[in-house]
Amino acid sequence: MTTPTLWDYREVVGPDIIEELTILASHVGSRSIKMINSTSVGGGVAEMLRRIVPLLNEMGIHTEWEVIRAEDEFFGITKAFHNALQGNQAHFQKDAFEIYLAWNEKNASEMDFDADLVVIHDPQPAALIHWNQYRKNRWIWRCHIDLSSPNQQLWEFLRPYIEKYDAAIFSSALFSPELNISQYRFYPAIDPLDDKNRELDVSFVESVFEKYGIPTDKPLVTQISRYDPWKDPVGVVQAFKMARKYVDCRLLLVGDKAADDPESDKILAEVRAEAGNSAEIHILLFSPSIATEINAFQRASDIIMQKSLREGFALTVSEALWKSRPVIGGAAGGIPTQIIDGYTGLLVHSVEGASLAIRSLLNQPDFAKRLGESGHQRVKDEFLITKNLKRYLLLLLALDRPQEQAIFLT
Amino acid sequence: MWGICMGDVFQFLSSASLEKLTGRKANNLEELLGLIRSCPESSIFYHTFSAFMKMRDVQLPYDSDFAIWADLRLNEKALAERLMAIDLREYNTIKSLRARLIEIIESHRKQVPESCEKIASEPFYLYDIMRVVYLTDRFAYDLRSFRDILKNISIYSIYFHFIESRLHTELHANDFSTWIEGSLNMADLAHRIRDIDISVYTIEGLRSRIIQLIDEYLKGGNH
Repeated sequence: MTTPTLWDYREVVGPDIIEELTILASHVGSRSIKMINSTSVGGGVAEMLRRIVPLLNEMGIHTEWEVIRAEDEFFGITKAFHNALQGNQAHFQKDAFEIYLAWNEKNASEMDFDADLVVIHDPQPAALIHWNQYRKNRWIWRCHIDLSSPNQQLWEFLRPYIEKYDAAIFSSALFSPELNISQYRFYPAIDPLDDKNRELDVSFVESVFEKYGIPTDKPLVTQISRYDPWKDPVGVVQAFKMARKYVDCRLLLVGDKAADDPESDKILAEVRAEAGNSAEIHILLFSPSIATEINAFQRASDIIMQKSLREGFALTVSEALWKSRPVIGGAAGGIPTQIIDGYTGLLVHSVEGASLAIRSLLNQPDFAKRLGESGHQRVKDEFLITKNLKRYLLLLLALDRPQEQAIFLT
Repeated sequence: MWGICMGDVFQFLSSASLEKLTGRKANNLEELLGLIRSCPESSIFYHTFSAFMKMRDVQLPYDSDFAIWADLRLNEKALAERLMAIDLREYNTIKSLRARLIEIIESHRKQVPESCEKIASEPFYLYDIMRVVYLTDRFAYDLRSFRDILKNISIYSIYFHFIESRLHTELHANDFSTWIEGSLNMADLAHRIRDIDISVYTIEGLRSRIIQLIDEYLKGGNH
């Protein structure tokens, strides 16, 4: 598929939204941004940059994306940093910090940082700023992970680097630490035109269900998530079994097998044991999944579940809401930001609650439809890539006038 | 009124905002009161005017983040209802809106002293906002051209002129009604638009309702 242009987004978000973006871009004028992260493939950040960089360029904001280069020893350390910053227990030796800084210094000497705005994504390249302290441009640290309770040893090491930035961006107030620099909120966003979210032909959707041998004779309840204890797939099966005493339906569990996650086999075995030999429960394991097929599963479902016990932002919720599906979500992490209970979906706190929610939605199709429609609107308002384009334009304006709370552009 | 730039021409404006995290939060009613008393006006704007627009789009029955928090996180239903009853259209300064919020919470605290002992199930996170107001290239010269533009202009522009701009003009009327009455001399239509109860419409619904009123007016031979 060719990279979509702004024009392509008019169809899905409305021409008025694109028109406003172009007006704002005209006020921003000829500016430049440099995005820096640690990988060009895989992961949500690279996917987001792959889409947003061409769109910013199309709006006249000259935007480059560069990836830091390093050996495996660096990425092994930053993987441990990533987990520890999200709360994992760990203790780091002095040489881990030295290796981290050495690779940042090497990259700082090889890259140019001439853009008006330099956006550093996540902790891996965060120390680049140390070798650019006498800059004339603006530097922003965009943190995509949950920093609400970081490993203290690591945070005390990283914080002085972060506080050298002009500002930081977090995905939610829930995820941000105390810092002495300005903090902005950019929600994570989905792309309505990528394979996971674009409109599909009905015939393709039907072919996917045929391919995997899933009958479409009964209402379908689906959870698409890794087989991870925090996603509670066992709880989903239990809730489904309780609900099925009252409503006839099928359950579909879809998950990717993570190469670096030995626990997933254990959880999958537990899920299968809980499901028993029920002909109404379908368990699929992919390695990896195909985006258009995930899209098809979501579109054909009567209910999407994301019954997480602990979460990051869980954009799978926005993916389902964008397709106007009613969603039942665990009240964890970023899920309550997307699901306003009773209005854009249902929030649950237990297996029993999830079971009641399934019964409620399958027995009240009008209510379920209304939740899906309001959910679609909420995603359109807050969680689409076009909204993040707008946020970047506003950020460029805000950084020019850091003391102003209202800007009047004439 | 915002929007007139020459003679009787109405130029549509629009607004956008960037959310800022403040690191400040409230775990109980007393702390919320402290935040409301001490936060910048832009924070009050964010949690009332900005929040209201988002709530309209998903048809939430609340009109501010304060009301949602009081209801869902503090389980103080009576307080939530009184906060929900605030009609933002009656406030053309943040100062007066802030005073009203404080008055409601203080009054509730007196009536239900135990409400101050409660710890919320989740904190109230105080946000701030950086607002940008900007000109669009859409001009209306008469009622028909106004209607045609209204059909396609962004919801942000409609919201700005109908609700937000009164903070700039310090008037108690929306820009559309002010222009239609003042420049087009159509007082009856202006009043009908002014009397629309925004609390039952999404912004798209508001757009449709205004267009419907204009169509009825034009159909009645009033042009």
